[in-house]
Parts: sequence; C-alpha cells; structure tokens
Amino acid sequence: MFRLTKLFAVATAGALLAVACGGGNNTTTSSFKGTKKVGYSGALSGQSQLYGHAISQGLKLGIDDINAKGGVNGYKLEPDIQDDTTDVAKAKDNTTQLILQDNVAVLFGPVTSAQCAATSPVAKQNKVITIAATCNSFQLTTEPDLLNPYWVSIVPNTYMEGNAAGNLVAKLGVKKIFIVSPKYLFGTSETNAFVASLKKAAPTASFTFNDPATWYVPFPTNPRWDATLTAIQGFGPDLVYSNIFAADQVNFVKQALLVNPQWFQKYPMTTLSSIDDFNALGASYPLGMHAYMRAPFFALSNSKMDDFVKRYHDKYNEYPSDWAVMDYDAIQVWAQAANKAGTFDSDKVLKQIVGHSFASLRGYSFTIRPGDQQANVGETVGTTADSAGKYPFPILKDYTNLKGDQLIMPVTLMTELQQGKCEKNGDPKTTDFANCPSWKT
Amino acid sequence: MGGLSNAAYLFIVAVGLSLVFGALRVINMAHGSLYMIAAFVTVVVANRLGLALGFWVGLLAAVIVTGAVGVLIEIVVLRRVYREEHLIQLLGTYAVTLIVAGAVRIIFGSNYRTMSPPQLFSGSLSLAGYRYSVYSLFMIGAAIMIAVGVNLMLYRTALGRNIRAAVSDSELLSASGVNVARLFTTVFAIGAGLAALGGVIVAPSQAVGTSMDSDVLVLAFAISVIGGLGSIIGSAVGAVLVGEIYSFGLVNPYTNQFALAFVFIIMTAVLTIRPWGLFGRAEQ
Repeated sequence: MFRLTKLFAVATAGALLAVACGGGNNTTTSSFKGTKKVGYSGALSGQSQLYGHAISQGLKLGIDDINAKGGVNGYKLEPDIQDDTTDVAKAKDNTTQLILQDNVAVLFGPVTSAQCAATSPVAKQNKVITIAATCNSFQLTTEPDLLNPYWVSIVPNTYMEGNAAGNLVAKLGVKKIFIVSPKYLFGTSETNAFVASLKKAAPTASFTFNDPATWYVPFPTNPRWDATLTAIQGFGPDLVYSNIFAADQVNFVKQALLVNPQWFQKYPMTTLSSIDDFNALGASYPLGMHAYMRAPFFALSNSKMDDFVKRYHDKYNEYPSDWAVMDYDAIQVWAQAANKAGTFDSDKVLKQIVGHSFASLRGYSFTIRPGDQQANVGETVGTTADSAGKYPFPILKDYTNLKGDQLIMPVTLMTELQQGKCEKNGDPKTTDFANCPSWKT
Repeated sequence: MGGLSNAAYLFIVAVGLSLVFGALRVINMAHGSLYMIAAFVTVVVANRLGLALGFWVGLLAAVIVTGAVGVLIEIVVLRRVYREEHLIQLLGTYAVTLIVAGAVRIIFGSNYRTMSPPQLFSGSLSLAGYRYSVYSLFMIGAAIMIAVGVNLMLYRTALGRNIRAAVSDSELLSASGVNVARLFTTVFAIGAGLAALGGVIVAPSQAVGTSMDSDVLVLAFAISVIGGLGSIIGSAVGAVLVGEIYSFGLVNPYTNQFALAFVFIIMTAVLTIRPWGLFGRAEQ
C-alpha cells in the first residue's frame, strides 16, 4: 500500500510536469512589425480561479484596445496566459517558461502574494518588468530579501488596505473582534496592518481579539468552515474582521447563512471583497457588510470606466471585477511607457514608469513613486446594499473612495522597512511595519 | 459537530474511492472529477427548477449523469489497464481528471455557482449553546445512511457477495460463471454514484467550482489510506479522524499552526506502522 502512495505522488508530479511543458509560437501580422508577447501566469483553476479568470479577461481586453491603436512600438501584442492552478511552484515554473521560452516583453503579477514572492526573483534575475495589480503584500516592495527594481505595484498594498480597514472599524465603536485570515504572506501582512492601524486610530479604546494563534486558517483552505463558525459563536464578537477571499469567502458566507440566516446581523463583518465575490453569491451576498474593495466599477463611475464596463460586459457577458479593472490599467501603464521609451528594453521602459503619472479607469491619475514603485491608488469602503435590480449582485451604499495619498505608506516607514529596521532580533521573518521606529513614534 | 459535518462529506467521497480500490485494485484519480460533475449538474438543475423540487431532481440527474460517465470511464480507460502496473492505472485515471477539468470549464465556465439547500433542510437548531445548520445534520445523517447502505449491499446482497469474491479472487469468480467484466463496471458505477452523492450533498453549502475535484481528492485519499483502502468501516473511521482532528486543530491556539499537518502526520504514522491502514488487509 505504501508503494501505491509513492506511485501516486510520482504520477501526480509527472502529470504536473507534463502540463507545465506547453509552449507557444510567435505569429506576425502584416500591419505590424511583428508580435510581442505579454505574459501572465495566474490562477485559472484552483482556489483563486475566480480572480485569475477576471485578470486574464481584463488583460485581453486591454491588449485588444492597444492593438487597435497600433500596438506598442509598432508591434502587435499577444497574450501569453498560463494557469498556475493557485500553486506557488507552478507559478514559478510558468514564469520561468514565459521569460526563457516564450520571451515575453513584460509580466503581470499573479493573484496571490505567495506566488508573487516566488516569481519576483525569477523576473528580477532576467530583468523583466512585472506589474502587479492583484497580489499586494507590502513586503513585495519593502522586504530587503524581496526587493526587485523591476517590480511595479498599481494595487493598494496590504499596508494601505489594512489601514483602510482599521480606520473603518475604528469608527464602528466595536470592542470585541474575531479575526479570520488565510495563513500566508497576504493574510498575515494585511491582518497585522489592520490591527496596528486600528490600535493607532483608536488609541484609547481597549480591544479584545480571539487568540492571535487562531487568527489564521491554512491556505488553500478546507471548504468546510464549521469549526470557525462554532468558534465565532463561542467568542461572541461585536465584529468579525476577515480578509478571506474567493472560494473561501463564498463558502464562509454560505455556511454562515445556513447556520443562521441573520448571521451577519448578529456578527457584523468587515471584509475585503470584490465584484467577483458579490457575483458568485448574487442576491445571497449579505447586506450590511462593511466591505473594502480595490476597484468596484459602480463606485468609480466615469466616462472611461462606463465605456470599459459596457465593452467588457458585451464581450464576456459579465461585469468586470476589481481585478479586471486594475489589470486593464496595468497593461495600459506598460504600453504607454514602452511607447514613450520607443523600445522594449526593461531599464528604459522602467524609467518611463517610475516617477510618472498615468490616467486610469478608476477616474483619477496615479503616480508610481520611486523607492517602492508603489502607485498611490485608492480603496473604496462602504456597506453592502441591494442594487435594486441594477446588477445581479449588491453594491455599496454610503461608500467612500479613499485617496491613495491618504493611504500610501509614509516614505520614512518604507525606507526603514527596506533597510531592515523593522525586524525583531534581526529575523527577517518578523518584519512588520508596526516594529518600525517611525511607526512607534 | 463541526468536525462531524466535515467528516460526513469526506466519508461519502472516500467510501467510493475505497470501494473501487477494494474490488478493482485501481486508485481512481478521476474520483474527484466525478464528484465535481455531480455538483455542477445539481446546481444547474436545482437553479432551473427552484427550491421545492430542484435539489431532489438535481440529485437524481447527478447520480444518473455521473454514473453514466463512470461507466464510460471504466469501459474506455480502466478495462485497458486492469492488468497493467499501478503507475499506468494512475496515469490513465489522472489523464481523465485533466480531460474532465477542461470539459467542465468549457461547459460551465470558470465562475463559481451556488444554490440554496432544499427547504426541508434549511434552518438551524441550538445545541449546548451553539447553533448548527440543519443542513449539516442532514449531511451527517446522509453519511450514516450511505455507510449502512453500502455495508448492506456488500454483506446482504448477491451483488455484494460477488464483489467480495472478486476482491478475494476474480479469476476464480470468473471461472464460476460470473461475468466479472460486467461486475467491475457495476462496481465502478456504484463508486461513481457515491462520488456523485458527495458532490450533490456539498453543492448547497459551498461554492461549486472547477477546483472541487482536487480539493476533495487529497483528503479523501488520506482518509482511505488511514482507514485502509478497500475498507468501508476504515473509510468511516478515517473520515471521522480527519474531520475531527482538522476541526479541533483549527480552533485550538496550540494546534492551529498544524491543523492540516496533523492529518498528514497521522497518515504517515499509519503508513509506517500499518501500511495497509487501520482496517485494511495486508496484500499477499
């Protein structure tokens, strides 16, 4: 029997390797000088498939629009999209293949921070620009071991999101908070940011949390949330804070509503969310949730966004999620910079990105600042409410579009993190901005 | 209770995996795919027919469709590899998982689908100060009924007698006039039906998506290894162990970090001390 188990492992590994060995061909069209591939290794299956699917659609629409305007430096762009199955090792393999075999001109960041942390060194080694529009742990641009001069982030990072959530919760007047978060870089990064900013925003308040050792659930997560739901009932919180997402959030909500249709009235929840999560649950997505979102199209309405939403819906028969919006912006950033540079050379294109401002679908221009190459993009916070039939999912009411400049990490803090001044006992694993000298003061 | 409902759906899936291995000596990597197909069929039918009938018609449709797919897999793939070594069998059924995953994505799309539970099992009840969904209790009840049903089928019917005989010596069974090829197809269809029941039962309580197959297969495999491949009682004990250990581990501050690791630590320990599992039989 033991032999069978080993065989099982060998067979699985072999099959995965076989899947990883796909390739692509260069094609050219007569109206262009040639074709340049743009690479995306993302979750088209597995836990985060919901987001990877949206990202790939946003990128494809962006590429169509760029090609319709003559491409980049006279070249037609061609998407080269690989499924990482929400698996870190596969993401790394895909990235290596995209760079070395498919010769992509640029990469767009995978879904989760774990995959981004694994793929960033590969892209750095090969000097390929990566624009991250979904994975967002601030460590990706501040942790000395992970620093990558070719990494650009146009998504609000975990510092910014944690602060948005912390400030939101500080105004709710709650005292007893149950935290549930995925156990990997993103979850710990965003949860720590939330707790630190909450305490800073309400310095006189006394908060009670569930035991920090129980904040995290293994990721990818077991689809059954019964144990966590029982633990929440035992704790009796005023509020549940979560940054679980995709399948986890859908499963959590469904199972909570089965336990008690009034669950989210009894245990109000502040959570990261997205159009994809809204769409998956449709009308059963709980109303009254305090949600923070990266780019909900309905809250960022402007002529460019409205046109994008219409074309996206016409093409894919679904509404664009936050991820589709941000990755559409991401490819526009790179195309604009490469056209301006007149070359695909990463160093020259990067000079046209860092320190420059770019118009976005989100209705404002953002700037990629030097140092951490993070854009000052905003976050939307609000309460879920019925869309009155306008969409097949809820929207946010009383929402606020927080400005990126309000949220972005102070330069001093960023510098301290990059210099390794925010670790406990010199251990990089303990790096946290809450340990930084400037945060403490 | 949380651990038991976790155990319930895992048992329903694992018992089919175990039954197929016991009779056919094949580790069916496509078992998770059958579970996923059933979940999608249930959601599609249920959402079309509504709350009153949807789940029940969906259940019927899912078992029929999945059983048919199972029969097809057995005839087209497995019959060609029964006499091959296990590695070939594994690769054959793994290829089926890739084909099914691609087909499901094309047919149903990448977005998650959700459905409501049947009215009969909506609502909740209080127990020792905690509320539990009636649906979780239904899952536990369904798992118990399936365990009893499979046991009765194996030990109280002619079909079960033949299956047990095939486990002992399929060639002798064939010599006694039993159509073993048809018997194997029937067993595989029953295994597929059990995977289908697992898919149907979880559909109202979680997101139905194209990663369901691999999500469930790893734990179902761990349960089968712990309990003993081919043992129904082993699957039940393995499922309860895995469900409870994982759930207890998750909410306990001292064990949270190792909740999932515990499952595989136990699996490793069982493989080391008793490689044929807690209730399995050592191969001769």
